[in-house]
Amino acid sequence: MTGTPMSPLQLAFVAFFGLAAVWFALVVFRTSSMMRSALALLFSQTALGALFLALQAEFLGVLQIMMMATEMSIMAIFMVMFMMDPGGLGQMDMTHQKRLSILAGVIAAVAIAAVALLTPWGAPATTVPSPADQLQGLGRELLGRSMLVFETAGITILTAMVAATAVAMPAFERRRER
Amino acid sequence: MSLGLVLALLTAAALFGIGLYGALSQTNLVMIMMGVELILGGALLDLVAFWRFLHPGSYPGQMFVLIVMTVMAVEMAVGFGVAIARFRARGSVEMEEARELQG
Amino acid sequence: MSVLAPLLALAAIAYIVVVLDGWLSTGRLRPFAPATAALGLLARESVVPRSPDRLFFETAPVLLLIAAVLAAAVLPLGPGLVIADLATGALFVNAAFAYVLVALLMAGWGPDGAYAMVGGWRFLGQTIAYSMLIVMPITAVAMRAQSLSTADIVRSQAGLWNVLYQPLGFALFFVAGMAVAFLPPFDLPTAPGELAGGVEAEYTGARLAVFRIARTVLVVSLATATTVFYLGGWLGPGLPPWAWSALKTLAVAAAMLELGHAVPRIREAHLLAWAWKAGIPLALLNIFLVGVLLLVLP
Repeated sequence: MTGTPMSPLQLAFVAFFGLAAVWFALVVFRTSSMMRSALALLFSQTALGALFLALQAEFLGVLQIMMMATEMSIMAIFMVMFMMDPGGLGQMDMTHQKRLSILAGVIAAVAIAAVALLTPWGAPATTVPSPADQLQGLGRELLGRSMLVFETAGITILTAMVAATAVAMPAFERRRER
Repeated sequence: MSLGLVLALLTAAALFGIGLYGALSQTNLVMIMMGVELILGGALLDLVAFWRFLHPGSYPGQMFVLIVMTVMAVEMAVGFGVAIARFRARGSVEMEEARELQG
Repeated sequence: MSVLAPLLALAAIAYIVVVLDGWLSTGRLRPFAPATAALGLLARESVVPRSPDRLFFETAPVLLLIAAVLAAAVLPLGPGLVIADLATGALFVNAAFAYVLVALLMAGWGPDGAYAMVGGWRFLGQTIAYSMLIVMPITAVAMRAQSLSTADIVRSQAGLWNVLYQPLGFALFFVAGMAVAFLPPFDLPTAPGELAGGVEAEYTGARLAVFRIARTVLVVSLATATTVFYLGGWLGPGLPPWAWSALKTLAVAAAMLELGHAVPRIREAHLLAWAWKAGIPLALLNIFLVGVLLLVLP
């Protein structure tokens, strides 16, 4: 490790929020209460957003925290709507092919960790643009070079909204019966 | 090779592994989607870590993060629309019962 | 020091808002009412439901308070009188207000009671209605300031306050702010008559005191946000900056608390219909108009 681009305090935050994100992610699949599962995912994503803040990507961190609060709350209501035992009081095991999935998860995590540890990433950068500069730069990037990507993303979101609403509406035949 | 980069990448690896476990082991569509959200979260963390430690002056990295966040939102929206339709047709969103395309 | 002063100012304004609300609704000015009410609540017996989800039941009021304080932390009460002047302050305000939703969901699910649960999930529907109407006016405000920093937003109003520059955005943000703080006519989660208190019903004693304090601080945070984004923050002749901030915040908070009493509680379906079919097109029109004004005016 040559040169430290991050102060010890920043490193401590990175480690803390990283552990929080992983711990909440584990709680998502360990708990039997559906509501706790959804809110654990929410707090895992919030920890991820805080991790972005610790990595000095301020806009992305705030955006992640904001979006995930609402998204995961919507996931919570869908869980309560669709699942049999939202309170988790029945202690039923709702999993299948458990050994295979644990194996797959562990192999994937170990493979990625190996790549992360063994690749020579090169000297880390020490200077990061200030948040205000990042904001300006991202804005110019969005509306300049990546304008096409931005517009496509906007149209995609609109299409997805209309498609999801159309798929979720009651079938036309049933409405005609009434 | 920086400690911060290693920590962030290891966290992302752990999130990816847990998400993959969840996506493969759960029987309910909503839980599978939660696994996928964790996988995408791991990918986001990787992107931000690489932006921060390797190319801080390059904004297309942050643009990519915005696109992945967009994908997360869009996938959730369409997935829940499909879940509602399935629930209306069958009364449950258990993937074990969804083996056939017919019906 | 720089963290303490804004927090004390927030607490003082919250206290005055409660006294003001009591005076406006009952006609009697009782300056010690909030303190005695809080002490009374703390002294009372704390009744816990039979089988609550303990984690959520305890966390909800605290999370509501944290969300409200975090939102107020990036809002300046004077030049330099801010806890954290983030470069993305305006977006952070929105992010903090998103956790009001999480807190009320926890408060709805925690007590394992029917009325609380209905209130909690109703608030989720309300959030779907108001969230765009909070973010899009903020976008238009940030367009004029060419920055997301709340201090820059205040300084950009030195010539003309945003309430006159973008009145449509002000109206939408004000109404959406009332919906965030679940004030009448948007008090769906705590519907006093219909849900017998809703999410607030199962809380007693100290937890109820924290819940009510959190709700008041939330109203003050929203009033401060409206002041900073639309009423020119600390700008004004004569009085010191913090006095202008305090006066404007008190006026907005009083308006938020009192204006809703004249209107019956809005139904969930109507709220969603109005917000999505009327509110969002108006918010987009607001952004368009502000864009045109910015390009045309020198």
